[in-house]
Amino acid sequence: MKIMIKFLLLVSLWSVGIFAQINNLRTHAPMKLDCKKCHLCDTPTKAEPCLVMCPRNKIEPVRHSVEEAPVDIVINEVDSEKDLYTPVNFSHKLHAKMSLMSGGCAICHHYNPPGKIVKCSTCHEKNRERENLSIPDLKAAYHRQCMACHTSWEEKSECRSCHELNDNIKISNTILPKLEKSHAKIKIPDKIVYQTDSDKGELVTYFHRDHTKLFDLKCMDCHKQENCENCHNQKPDFSKPQPDDLHDKCSDCHDTEGKCYVCHSNVEKKPFNHPTKTGFNLSNFHSNISCITCHKTKNRFTGLKKECKNCHKDNEGYFNHSITGIMLDETHKDLDCEDCHVKNNYMKRPTCSDCHEEDISFPKNIPGEKVRKNHD
Amino acid sequence: MAQNRRDFLKTLATIGVSTGAISAVTPQVAKAGPTNILSDNRMGVLVDATVCIGCRKCEWACQGAHDKVQQDFIEYENNDVFKKARRPDTNNLTVVNKYDSELLGSETIKLQCMHCDHPACVSACIVGALSKEENGSVIWDTDKCIGCRYCMVACPFQVPALEYYKALDPKIVKCDFCFERTKEGNLPACVEICPVEALTYGKREDLLIEAKKRIKNHSEKYFNYIYGEHEVGGTAWLYLSDKELAGEVFPKLGNDPAPGVSESIQHGLFAYFVPPVALYALLGGIMWLSKDKDKSEEKL
Ligand code: SF4
Ligand code: SF4
Ligand code: SF4
Repeated sequence: MKIMIKFLLLVSLWSVGIFAQINNLRTHAPMKLDCKKCHLCDTPTKAEPCLVMCPRNKIEPVRHSVEEAPVDIVINEVDSEKDLYTPVNFSHKLHAKMSLMSGGCAICHHYNPPGKIVKCSTCHEKNRERENLSIPDLKAAYHRQCMACHTSWEEKSECRSCHELNDNIKISNTILPKLEKSHAKIKIPDKIVYQTDSDKGELVTYFHRDHTKLFDLKCMDCHKQENCENCHNQKPDFSKPQPDDLHDKCSDCHDTEGKCYVCHSNVEKKPFNHPTKTGFNLSNFHSNISCITCHKTKNRFTGLKKECKNCHKDNEGYFNHSITGIMLDETHKDLDCEDCHVKNNYMKRPTCSDCHEEDISFPKNIPGEKVRKNHD
Repeated sequence: MAQNRRDFLKTLATIGVSTGAISAVTPQVAKAGPTNILSDNRMGVLVDATVCIGCRKCEWACQGAHDKVQQDFIEYENNDVFKKARRPDTNNLTVVNKYDSELLGSETIKLQCMHCDHPACVSACIVGALSKEENGSVIWDTDKCIGCRYCMVACPFQVPALEYYKALDPKIVKCDFCFERTKEGNLPACVEICPVEALTYGKREDLLIEAKKRIKNHSEKYFNYIYGEHEVGGTAWLYLSDKELAGEVFPKLGNDPAPGVSESIQHGLFAYFVPPVALYALLGGIMWLSKDKDKSEEKL
């Protein structure tokens, strides 16, 4: 009987033990973590978990998508700086997106135990005078984190690229340049000639300025997933970019699957020329406008009809003659263009003598009234 | 001023008394010199040069805390000053210099008084104006200082600066480890402002443990040496770096308190060579009085 009781007792103890373990596994198991990542000893207990201090880069990082990340965070926790600087507006989501290209959220969120994302101040104390000197305090943690990338690119410590000076900091005799949050001016190349291994033509001549100025592309249309390190890299990667990466940038507008010849050639290509390509000479009236003004479908510029009316139509469906500076009166509106502009030559003066007596001529007489020139 | 002179005369009197006592041949009596406490709880600062970003905010804060002339706040962002190495002076009790570094490209290092455990300056001071305090700071009493510059000569780190620009009554000036601030429970101004905590304030013995831990955990980054742990008998300010600092940033110094340290010179003098001391004192006294006369003449 005694043995029986002992046995029962043992069994129940054992099952409690198992249950406790299963309970633990419930939170830990899905993480697929190595125990040693968090626990120093072989048999951690609840009372003695022997946890590793802040295991930098060792624990599974943030487990949600960048889209769910907070957009902007105001950092206003560092008391000793409040006198000097205004709070830092940290563009969190932007940084999160950039981080995807170089290590992900974990570059900053280096310690994430299972569960909610911990705040920096969970480990990094606000107080500089403290027990644990091994973990930098909050102010130092922020700065060290940011400064790792924001190293000064000029001979200056650029405090003010993140901090605006507080009003009570008086600056004498110095005109403070306005804080520039945007990127320093980047020189846009006119053209880039890519040397490729393609058998469809080794050279790809890319007219950069035409794409941005004429074809009206925005930087972000091509430079979609740029990482600061692409340009600001201390150890640049000189390995050749893969064809796929390069095609990706162009394939939104160009057919990179079939029409290789559009870009590839064995000689350097000439820039896009409207009259030779399309037969429509822009030099007369349309020399200084970007393509998108007429070709409204962005990125896919398709041919347009050559008649002026195709684009310059007034409400009643007539050619909007006002754009030339003369609004036609009712009688002249109904005429064909050729009735006045002989052979559709708009560079020459219109002829009035076909209908009118000799004493009527342009520009003495005007077939309507003068208006301001309007290019729409 | 009258107060100063009276103090000095008092010191003279003390010397006179000890002279008397010493004639009774008891060298220990002479040790009743300046305050020179080496407390187990003395504080220090661990300077981690691998972390310092050279922002010079410490210079700005130090000047502010000591009523020195501050430049425009943003002037400190201008790194042109790094073109040549500077030394602490009367307006900059601390300076940040830039040095080449193989590992990091360049490294910025803050310099100031090291607050030696066995301060040569304290021992060298003939009027007992300097003292090593319980909390580790080496400070001085402006009223007692006669501007004799013995401390400047004695200091192995060439720290104390003299107010040369003052024609009358120049005193020595140096980092005082923010004695007034720490007395009230505040951090030294430089430590408080440092944005990256390149400066860690704490008990010297804790800082040594911390420094060793950093070297062990990041052996790839640190040169395995804590400058100041042993130099001239140990200093309150300790330095970690990625390279050897002795020889470039700091002088190469032995582990014994500076040249036999002045302590023994001074106290030896007190003990056995009374006449020279008395002579110095006398000369000093004459200097002192005549200087004062100069001053009153100028006033006329
Ligand atoms: S560094 Fe020089 S001034 Fe400072 S305590 Fe040591 S000896 Fe004195
Ligand atoms: S401890 Fe005080 S006096 Fe010394 S350098 Fe720092 S701020 Fe200046
Ligand atoms: S404030 Fe700190 S980081 Fe800045 S220069 Fe001084 S020690 Fe270096």
